[in-house]
Amino acid sequence: MNTFLSRNRLIVLAYIGMLLLVLITAFFSPGFLSASNLRSTFILASFVGIVALGQTFVIIGGGIDLSIPWVLNSAAVLMTLLCAGQDLPLIWVVPLLLAGGGLIGLLNGAGVALLGVPPIIMTLAANVILQGLILVFTGGTPTPAAPDMIKFLSVGRISGIPVIALIWTALTVLAWLLLSKSAFGRHLYAVGTNVTVARYSGVPTTRTTILTYVISGMTAALGGILLTGYSGVAYLGMGDSYLFTTVAAVAIGGAPILGGSGHYIGTVAGALVLTILTGLLPALNLSSGALLVVYGAVILLTVSIGSETFSEMWASASNRRKRIKEGTENG
Amino acid sequence: MDIVQVKGLTKRFGGIVALDGADFSARLGEVHALLGENGAGKSTFIQILSGALNHDGGDILVDGQDYRPVNPDEALGRGIAAVFQELSLVPDLSVEQNIWFRREPRTWLRTVDVSQMRQQTLELFERYHFPSIATTREVRNLTLAERQIVEVAKGLAKNPRILILDEATSALPASEATWLLSLARQLADEGRLVIFISHRMGEVRAIADRVSVFRNGSTVATHDAAAVSDDQIVTEMIGRQLARLYPERMDTATDRVALQVRDFSSPPMLNGVNFDLREGEVLGVGGLQGHGQREMFQSLFGADKALGSVTLWGKPVCFDTPRQALSGSEGIALVPEDRRGQGLLLTKSVRENLSLPVIRRFSHLGLLNQRKEAELVRETMKSLSIKADTPEQIAGTLSGGNQQKVIFGKMLMTQARVLLLYDPTRGVDVGTKGEIFQLMRQLASEGYAILFYSSDLPELVNVADRVMVLRSGRVARMLEGDDITEEEILRAAVFDSEAA
Repeated sequence: MNTFLSRNRLIVLAYIGMLLLVLITAFFSPGFLSASNLRSTFILASFVGIVALGQTFVIIGGGIDLSIPWVLNSAAVLMTLLCAGQDLPLIWVVPLLLAGGGLIGLLNGAGVALLGVPPIIMTLAANVILQGLILVFTGGTPTPAAPDMIKFLSVGRISGIPVIALIWTALTVLAWLLLSKSAFGRHLYAVGTNVTVARYSGVPTTRTTILTYVISGMTAALGGILLTGYSGVAYLGMGDSYLFTTVAAVAIGGAPILGGSGHYIGTVAGALVLTILTGLLPALNLSSGALLVVYGAVILLTVSIGSETFSEMWASASNRRKRIKEGTENG
Repeated sequence: MDIVQVKGLTKRFGGIVALDGADFSARLGEVHALLGENGAGKSTFIQILSGALNHDGGDILVDGQDYRPVNPDEALGRGIAAVFQELSLVPDLSVEQNIWFRREPRTWLRTVDVSQMRQQTLELFERYHFPSIATTREVRNLTLAERQIVEVAKGLAKNPRILILDEATSALPASEATWLLSLARQLADEGRLVIFISHRMGEVRAIADRVSVFRNGSTVATHDAAAVSDDQIVTEMIGRQLARLYPERMDTATDRVALQVRDFSSPPMLNGVNFDLREGEVLGVGGLQGHGQREMFQSLFGADKALGSVTLWGKPVCFDTPRQALSGSEGIALVPEDRRGQGLLLTKSVRENLSLPVIRRFSHLGLLNQRKEAELVRETMKSLSIKADTPEQIAGTLSGGNQQKVIFGKMLMTQARVLLLYDPTRGVDVGTKGEIFQLMRQLASEGYAILFYSSDLPELVNVADRVMVLRSGRVARMLEGDDITEEEILRAAVFDSEAA
């Protein structure tokens, strides 16, 4: 564990930042630390965290998944339509939609790993195509309400603990096992670090890359299904904010956008930071436009503090200060 | 007065002391060689000299004036330019664009004066007898050797008073290396200072006026090249007496054919190669660069496609990917040409690098047995005497020789008993070279079959049991016994045997 922490200093930094943010928020809006508020913060963070799980895998592998918004949205719309408010169909609808999300990921991954399409283009195209298909399919009409079971999973509690937090915890454990304790994890980090070296070391690079997109498609679909329970209905555009938040959660969590390192444990902190931030900003009495500006700027700042150039700047600045102090350099 | 004077130079990276009070002094008009094992501090020293790094303590005087450049441009302002081992060319630009990068001749409209640039390039090439490279070719299409030559041209184009050549010959085949040596001599005779780093003693002997030896971050001694013996230099470099560079020759080859290759082709580079590699044998591969050696190694390993039949331990095989070549009990492993681009995950630990090809072997019910992994990694590190603080040390921070040992270790952890070694001693210090040859001999005696390409002729002559010389993608000659000499290898590489 010690080596994990020393190798992932940025993750430690993300958690420290999160604690600071909690203190600041508690100062500005004292109600923040109440049980009900903490619970709703956790519920909201869970959606970001679950959807960002797949994004974390894709980014570690050196790619990016921009198809998340409409994979999520499609799963939400199809779930409500296919269940029509009933719990029973969930038995086959949920597995079907998860498989569907996985299939979109498979296509994304195949395009990237087999055909060499740049990830940005491949997944952006998938996103637009899905958006079009859903618009054609629904004709823009509202869909039925979410089944009660889904509502229970999203906002229900078991002895005071939100069910979705339990789901999130289970997924976090699974992601940790995959990244830190499995051969797939080693392959993934190798592919993200240097795909040629990975190939020359006998790593199944194509399969590894494709699998990250499959995971991302599945977590996006799962996120869509669960989010419907929170909002009560599926609506068009409900996934749009998740593109930025998933990438930001991964980045705040310390994973370099070019891949090769980082961990889902960091993304968890990233998801919490983002959610707490959206809770803090209204407390500052800002207009909704100003809110977005601050939101974006804070994320930009957090991510750049962790970036390599920034830390190099810090290092060289402090070296210079030291030299000036020692008198080996003037001014 | 000496143009460069260095006193008590120190540099640390975190807790690691790279330079520990190094002294150095050199004058215009000489070729001054720097020798030392990898990790001795040579690279750090020249990076400081060329403005790529700042030093922590000590003084550098250039022309008697204090010298502390913050970047390579400032170093160039004082007349110092360097040609580094890690190539710094832009792949998408042409040869001439790279040579004059950021210093392009301009027209009155401030646009790049293309014809002037071409003119200057050709003049430069002619003045220093450069091997012919079309100036308009994109660098991405050049071989490693050609890139190295362009890199030299780029350094020269800056017209420095002091030119640093950091292992510039290591990527070059024999004829181009000879050219570079005479170039260094010519530059010194023009009144410049050439600081020359090489691991090949023969080259240093051929051109250096003086030699400075580095060990453990400081300079041990500076000698007149004519007045010092090889033995003394080697002893100073490694701090003890090296038994011998080349291991004793033993005939461990059996009659059993490990790798049989027939009609192996991938036109235009590879045009029907035939050979048998036997169990326990070290089969050398020679020839001028670009005659199919790289393609043959890559294709046998499954990293490139080729036609023809390959039989491994009596069974026909056809590898489409390196993964297939490495898996199974009867595989083929490759120590690749490009250590940093193909061999190592530079930002990952020694442990992660070593176990990567065999990581699935430690997987039980989907979870890794990390204790077993650590155990095997430790064993491998020990048996190859890889010098790292812990298995968790980042591979990129190891010296070149140790990085190469990690790549050997990776391949030896697989079950493959046919090893393809593509120039495994390139840029490796003399101590590690000896260890690598020793290891090759030992593996051969354990029944491994080794295909060994080297751009350094003496290595082929002294290490290989037989040497096959490739020319135009075919086996020009198979040399055995007393026929294995540098002259014979070169003759076969250059002349048409049928005409002879």
